[in-house]
This record gives sequence, C-alpha cells and structure tokens, in this order.
Amino acid sequence: MSHADPAAGSDSDSRHPAHARVALGYEPPAGEDGRIWIPKGGNHRVAGLSDARKARLLGAVLDLKSELGARLVLLGLEVDGLGPAERAALRARVAFLPADGGLLSNLNAWENIVLPLGFHAPKRMHGAAAEVNGLLEELGADPRGLLDKLPERMSAYEKKLAGYVRILLENPELVLVEDLLGGLDAADRAGAAGFLPAYQARCPGGTFVQIEGSPEA
Amino acid sequence: MIGVYREFEGCTRLMGHVLRRLRVLALPPVAESLIRQIYFTGASATAGMVLRGAFLGTLIIAYVIDVLDANSALAVKILIWVVLREIGPLIAAVLVIQRSGTAIATELALMQISGEVANLRRMRIDPRDYLVVPRVVGVALSTAALTFYVQVIAVGGGMLLSALTIDASLGQLANDFFLLASPVDFAYSMIKSLLFGVAIAVICCYHGLHPPGVSINAVPKAAINAVTQSTLLVMLLNVIFAYLVFGQAFFGLVTAKL
Repeated sequence: MSHADPAAGSDSDSRHPAHARVALGYEPPAGEDGRIWIPKGGNHRVAGLSDARKARLLGAVLDLKSELGARLVLLGLEVDGLGPAERAALRARVAFLPADGGLLSNLNAWENIVLPLGFHAPKRMHGAAAEVNGLLEELGADPRGLLDKLPERMSAYEKKLAGYVRILLENPELVLVEDLLGGLDAADRAGAAGFLPAYQARCPGGTFVQIEGSPEA
Repeated sequence: MIGVYREFEGCTRLMGHVLRRLRVLALPPVAESLIRQIYFTGASATAGMVLRGAFLGTLIIAYVIDVLDANSALAVKILIWVVLREIGPLIAAVLVIQRSGTAIATELALMQISGEVANLRRMRIDPRDYLVVPRVVGVALSTAALTFYVQVIAVGGGMLLSALTIDASLGQLANDFFLLASPVDFAYSMIKSLLFGVAIAVICCYHGLHPPGVSINAVPKAAINAVTQSTLLVMLLNVIFAYLVFGQAFFGLVTAKL
C-alpha cells in the first residue's frame, strides 16, 4: 500500500506528471498545502486530512468541480478541460463509500444495494440477486440475514458492507473509501480487510484509495 | 417578496423537471416508489377518506334540504353542483394535504438534513428523478381516485338521505341524477383533482428538498410551509377553475358573462 500523505507533499510521479498513469491528482490553489498525486492501480491511503480539506477533496472529485485555482486530474484526464458529457462519463468510473455506508434509511439493504443499478443499468437487474448474493458470500456475510434489514437495524459494519457491495456492482475504476475501519471492532475490521481483495478480484487494475481524517481533527 | 418569487420559481422549475423526466417512471426503483406512493396516498387512506366524505356529503344534503325545503330535482342539482363539482375534489385535496403532503415534506426534509439526498447525488442519481417524479405522479393519480371515491360515497349517501327525508324515491333521485349530471361535470372534477394532486405534491416536495435550515427544527417548518402553501394554491386553483369553466367563482358570488 502506498501512502499519499498530503502534508508530506507527493509521490515520485508528481514532478513530471504522466496523466495517463494518474488515478487521482489534486493540486489546491497556489499557496495552499495538500497536493495529492496517486498513480493508477493498487491500494493507497490519504491520511491526515482535516474535515474541511477532506470535504474539499471529496467535493472536487465527486462533483468534478475544482475550486478556483485548483487542479483536478482523474483517471488520466484533466477535469477542467472536459465538457458535460465527458464529465458524466468520467464520473461513472468513480465510486465513493462514505464512512456510514451512505444508505437510504427507508430502503432495506437489498433495495439500497441495487438502487444505482436500477438507474444506470436496469437491464442488469434480472441477474442482480445472484450477483449480490455471490459478493456478500465472498465478503463473508450471510445474504439472508442482511438483505431484508433496514439501515436502522444494521451494525456499522453491515452498513459499510451494503454500501461496498453497491459500489462493486458498478465495477468502478477508482474507489474512494472514507474511514474504512472507523467505528469497527476487531472482528469487523477483519471483515473490512476483505474489501480490497474483493475489489481487486472484480476490477483488476482498479485503484482503491482510503481517505482518512486527521486523528486530532 | 423575493422569497415568495424564489419559491414560485423553484416550484415551477420542479414541475418542469417532472414533465421532462416522466420517462424515469419506467426504471425499476422509480416504479417501485410510484407504487408505494399510490398505495400510501390512494389505497391505505381510502377507508378514512371515504368515511369522512360520506359524513360531509350527507351533512351538506341534510342541511340544504332542511333549509331550502327541496324537492328531488333540486336535491340532485345541489348534489351535482356542490358535491360532484366542488366539495368532492376539495375534500380529497384537503385530506391528501393533511396526510400525504405533511408526510412528503417531512420525509424529504429529513433526507436532506441527514445527507441522504447528497448520498443520492453521489450515486449519480438525480434526487428529483427518484424522489419527486414518482411522488408527483402518485399523488396526482391518488387524488383523482380519492375524489372519485368521495363523490360516489357522498352522492350515494346524499341520495339515500334525500330519499328518507323528502318525498322522493331513491329510483326517482337516481333517474334525476343521470338526467342532470353531464360528462363535463365528471371530467371537470377529475381534471381539477389531478391538478390539485400535482400542485400539492410539487409544493410539498419543493419545501421538503429546501428546508429552511440544516437543524432538526427545519423539518416541522418545512412541513408547515408545505401545508400552508399547498392549501392556498388548491383554493386558488379551485376559484380559477370555477371561473374559467362555469364563469362563476366563490359559489356564484363572482360571475362572468359567458
């Protein structure tokens, strides 16, 4: 696992950026710290971000809108030069797992998991049940015990798990995971450790980025 | 004043979005949401609504017959004018605001404040497609259906009561009803109730998605704004409709030469 620590500057690619090999590149406006340059593939960790900086980074990546003077490179593409259609296509290649799983409280786990699929690939809904069951079993969970539960009855780990399976169904090239192990006990941490292998098996060559806040923030 | 203009503009834009994006109803999650909305507004509320409609319809007829000493033709005319054209759609709309309007505004405001609407955006789902389109269509269809139930029950109850209190048989009243009622009355009330449903749902969705703050206190405020404004708009639409179609408003107090 490589560490892209914004406080420490950047990795070896940063001086001569080869965009084609960049999964996530973010340069804040001039005079500010927090340059992030992450190559494609593998597992990376961005640590030590304050809440405000984390929100700015995620806002830039997920809305594809960098602040004035900032620069954003995503999956080899300079975002500022893209038109609306290209941005939408690029955004479809990126997935984000919030710390709380990002579930909707009035839908059960199954409905939450297949919600994006129903919008973006409705034809795949027919085979979704087998696919979801397979993914959950691969991640060590019992689908029968989870899929009918509403988020209010799920543990923190189950929420992350449901959110993660939802992401995997979309086969993203870049996955951003917020505080992967935050709020989990030892047993659940072991379960969450299986998230990365499951992604790598499903999306070889994909980039997995853990984004963690500063402990003192 | 600027606030009122912004809300009007926001509701108009939301309505435009619904009309442009009706095709999303074919998507499985939106179709499920539509079915839930119709069940919640149109089906699970039926018993209570029909009961209230029957009470009100019967009460109106009882008072009118007593005050005007009406015969069967007049009783039926009053049933058609008051219950079929005006009271049926209005009762259904008010009951939909009470029950579904508050629920929609509260639910969406809570989703907005708790970050669930933002979660939808992060999944590349337009919250208006998933949250607003099925609610507007579901509430509109349900309001029309409830209006029909209220009309049938209120008119039926009114005719039953009339048969008991004036010198006319139920058969004679029914005969008068079918002679005097025209398809225009029915179409008028159905179109009106569909519009009422759309107006209620759009306003409640707008206030739910734009709560006046980010604390939990904003939720009841959003619900109050939604209920107040949708009730006002329903009354206004009713007056406009009556004036445009029959050249009279406020039960004949304002008339036009057609």
